[in-house]
Amino acid sequence: MSLLELSGLRAGYGAQDVIRGISLSVAEGEFAALVGPNGHGKTTVLRAISGLLRARGGQILLAGQPLTRLRPDRIVAAGVVHVPQGDLLFPGMSVLDNLRMGACLPAAAAEEKRRLEEVFTLLPKLRDRQGQLASTLSGGERRMVGIGRGLMTGGRILMLDEPSLGLAPIVIDQIYDLVQQLAKSGRTILVVEENAVRIADMADRMYLLDNGEIAWAGTGAGFLSSPEIFATYLGG
Amino acid sequence: MDVALQILFSGLTLGAVYAVSTIGLALIYGALNMLNMAQGGLLALGGYMAMWAMQAMGFPAPLAALTAMAAGAVAGGLIFLLAARPMLGGEGFETRIFIATIGIGLMLESLILKAFGPQPQAQSLRLDGGLMFGRVNLPWQNLLIFVTAILMLAGVALLLGRSRLGRAIRATSMNREAAQLMGVPIRRIYLTILMLSGALAALSGIMISSMSGLLPNMGADPMLKAFIICVVAGLGNVPGAALVAFAIGMLEALIQYLFGVQYAFAILLCLVIAVLIWRPQGIFGQKEVVRL
Repeated sequence: MSLLELSGLRAGYGAQDVIRGISLSVAEGEFAALVGPNGHGKTTVLRAISGLLRARGGQILLAGQPLTRLRPDRIVAAGVVHVPQGDLLFPGMSVLDNLRMGACLPAAAAEEKRRLEEVFTLLPKLRDRQGQLASTLSGGERRMVGIGRGLMTGGRILMLDEPSLGLAPIVIDQIYDLVQQLAKSGRTILVVEENAVRIADMADRMYLLDNGEIAWAGTGAGFLSSPEIFATYLGG
Repeated sequence: MDVALQILFSGLTLGAVYAVSTIGLALIYGALNMLNMAQGGLLALGGYMAMWAMQAMGFPAPLAALTAMAAGAVAGGLIFLLAARPMLGGEGFETRIFIATIGIGLMLESLILKAFGPQPQAQSLRLDGGLMFGRVNLPWQNLLIFVTAILMLAGVALLLGRSRLGRAIRATSMNREAAQLMGVPIRRIYLTILMLSGALAALSGIMISSMSGLLPNMGADPMLKAFIICVVAGLGNVPGAALVAFAIGMLEALIQYLFGVQYAFAILLCLVIAVLIWRPQGIFGQKEVVRL
């Protein structure tokens, strides 16, 4: 059964629809990826799911519960965790306080200590950096705090928006090792990524977004073995 | 020595009053990018409500102060619910809410004028007598103002620094969208900030009126000074605003002694202009502030 299901979703800015009636689903425990060229609406999809952008049409269901008309805080409480592009940390707060902000919902607050320990075990560097101001961290560390903060929230699905954006290749490897570790632990993950090849061998399911529409859907392996996709979308 | 003590006492009292009225404004601007021009009206409301609670209702002083702060909080909450909330997220929010709060402030003043009349009145909530330090008299009222302000500032600092609510307020101020993604109900946070700011303005109104009496437009001058303090500190910077408030209070007391009361505000403004030429973003402000 699908945990997250979008059907006929439309969303956009101003008069323009950026997302034009897309449908996709992510099953419980699945690692799904939404890929596509820059500016074709990947981030807009995540923003619509998390309620930062009001959907103009269609439906978003989480375990059968409609999210479309809920406020962002209610959507988080329902179980959607969105780690946004560019991290959006709280620059004037320490790493620890940033992580604690992830557990600000009453349900998460009760679990704060345990989750903090889990995050520190998964990302030991953050334990050493916990007193440091977020604004003084490197790009890779900021990304780790962003993901760690998302994990503190708990939730049923973790959505990551371009986790490799702007990072050095060695740091990208570290971040994707972490994502893969999370996927193996049974978490449901939806990753938005421009670098389709980087994510394809990890993903159970892939969606290719082109001009606000789903142009292709299938498995990660299927994506890699499809010469026509490479020729059309990735310039291969 | 006596003169220095007198300036110190006056400066600390002025600074305390300015600090209490300024931190509310700084909190609101930090979180909502909103200049609350109804602050003057809220100050007057606090002063008059305290007097009314003591004279008409026979409340003891602490209860009268709490009544006034509750009235300020309710007024602040209504400003959010009836004016700011419908405009939030719309185009030109900052300009529209600026104009709307000017109107609300004038409306508050008119209501106070209608209810209590235009004549100056004495604040009932005040202490008489004082403490002698050599030849310098420290009025109990000034001491009460200073201690209350320090307690209030410490309370706000604890709330912002140590509590979950405070962390959510700071997070909302730093990055509204990220706070939403953590599950922070930002509209409830905004409402809380406006209510807190209204209560602080009311308290400040009691302090001011206990020194200079009650008038319906008594809030105009302190509001202007509170805005100046906010700008000099760096808009939205709460601890900076409290520090600058005390510095400006001390400076004002010094200028009053050296040049006379009539020159204090003009000279203060010249100094403020000089500071802003030197640091346009304010003393504690950041050069580039990206708001989302």
